[in-house]
Amino acid sequence: MNAGRGQESAVEVLITREAVERRIDEMGKEIAAAYRDCLPLLVGVLKGCAIFMSDLVKKIEIPLEMDFISVMSYVGVQSPGGAARITKDLDTVIEGRDVLLVEGIVDTGMTAGYILRNLQARGPRSLRVCTLLDKEVRRIVRIPISFRGFNIPDKFVVGYGLDYRQLYRNLPYVGVLKDEMIGLDRS
Amino acid sequence: MAVITITSRPGCQGGEIAARLAGHLGFMLVDKTSFAQLSGEIDLDEAGLREVDEAISKGELQIDPETEACVRLLQDLMAQLAEEQDLVIVDRSAQGLFRDRPGTLHVRLVAPRMYRVRQAKNSERLSGREAGRFIKNLETRHARYLRFLYGLNLADPDLYDLTLRMDRLSIEQALRLIEAAIDGMDLGQVPRESIVKDLLPQMAEKRENGRFANVAETEFARFLRFYNIPFEYEPRTFTLETDAGGRITEAFTPDFYLLEQDLYIELTTMKQSLVTRKNRKVRKLRRLYPDINIRIFYQRDFYNLMAKYGLLQGR
Repeated sequence: MNAGRGQESAVEVLITREAVERRIDEMGKEIAAAYRDCLPLLVGVLKGCAIFMSDLVKKIEIPLEMDFISVMSYVGVQSPGGAARITKDLDTVIEGRDVLLVEGIVDTGMTAGYILRNLQARGPRSLRVCTLLDKEVRRIVRIPISFRGFNIPDKFVVGYGLDYRQLYRNLPYVGVLKDEMIGLDRS
Repeated sequence: MAVITITSRPGCQGGEIAARLAGHLGFMLVDKTSFAQLSGEIDLDEAGLREVDEAISKGELQIDPETEACVRLLQDLMAQLAEEQDLVIVDRSAQGLFRDRPGTLHVRLVAPRMYRVRQAKNSERLSGREAGRFIKNLETRHARYLRFLYGLNLADPDLYDLTLRMDRLSIEQALRLIEAAIDGMDLGQVPRESIVKDLLPQMAEKRENGRFANVAETEFARFLRFYNIPFEYEPRTFTLETDAGGRITEAFTPDFYLLEQDLYIELTTMKQSLVTRKNRKVRKLRRLYPDINIRIFYQRDFYNLMAKYGLLQGR
């Protein structure tokens, strides 16, 4: 199941590696069918998308391009300037392009909403969203999701690219991090 | 304008004296019953209030942050009440909150243990042994509250302006002495603002911001601004009930309105299980205004949000 990374004791498996792989295979086919008449540009949102996107593109059997974007994370009162900003922008001009935003997880929708507004302003022909995990129960900002891997419950998940304080991204499955690891055992 | 605090050793008829005093003076009585109603203002129902009381009275070294927030918010609410009207407050560490303030009189009611046990036996319909335990537990709780909130010793005579031995006085005599003290100290001449001046900013939840009601709201607003999500704070009050004369008897003002999402958000720092009153209001609002989108953000939602950005202290 895993490569003995010493992190598993804090994590309970939510979606197995096999289930993730199966679903990504299906998603690849769905995306290929949707974009068969154009050259899509897949834009991955770093860093949570990294493992998902690299596995996903291998399952999309049509020509495509890839690019990445990264947004500074909220760090509470220490957030410089108090506002989000793009820390790694696209290398590609997306005006007139068919863009598919690829997320590891959509939670409150704050980050995805921020990026969508930013990309929309650049005039793409189409702009859609693909996410491996959708925590819809916690949504605050509405995000139209065209391709969804799994709808997940309101749990703090890690693995398969998703982190807690930059750890656990290398777990080959999606797991739930125990509450006491993140301070949630107080609630 | 005045605030009278009555700190009664259990079995000294503090409740009755406070009620009669409030009646004589035309002051608002803040006792067990009205305190339970007051706690509803912060979405703490009776069971929640009991939980908070028990956590403090157990004397746990580590009071969890939510319980502490509740206890401090309740003190905050008492201070807010004093801003608006004259009060007679029974227990609840009010002598600590209003310590050394102008316009206040702090009364301590005492009596020998035997007298108090007898009183408790009659008023609570308990056996002698039960009454002994009852007064001991209650006094321990009062002492721990005061120590927890203000680091003060309940028995410290310097906290009180007037101490009355209730085994030697009737209730009427005690009332006359208290009223004489109020007159003698010219409490009625003290402007209300000087009673509460600088009191509210000391409270934990109000310290750092003038606008938002609590820390969670401040953090949430900061979060919305970070992601450039337009919002308004408490922009609309929804009428939930009116009386026969058309006067509003129940209303609800959600904390945030997200303009682009057309979504109202009500934040609470309480556990979901304790938020019965707010849940009921939101259900009512949904029924009366089916086109309104509203979501309650519970304590766990808020902690989740913080945890997502690594802002909670994990292991």
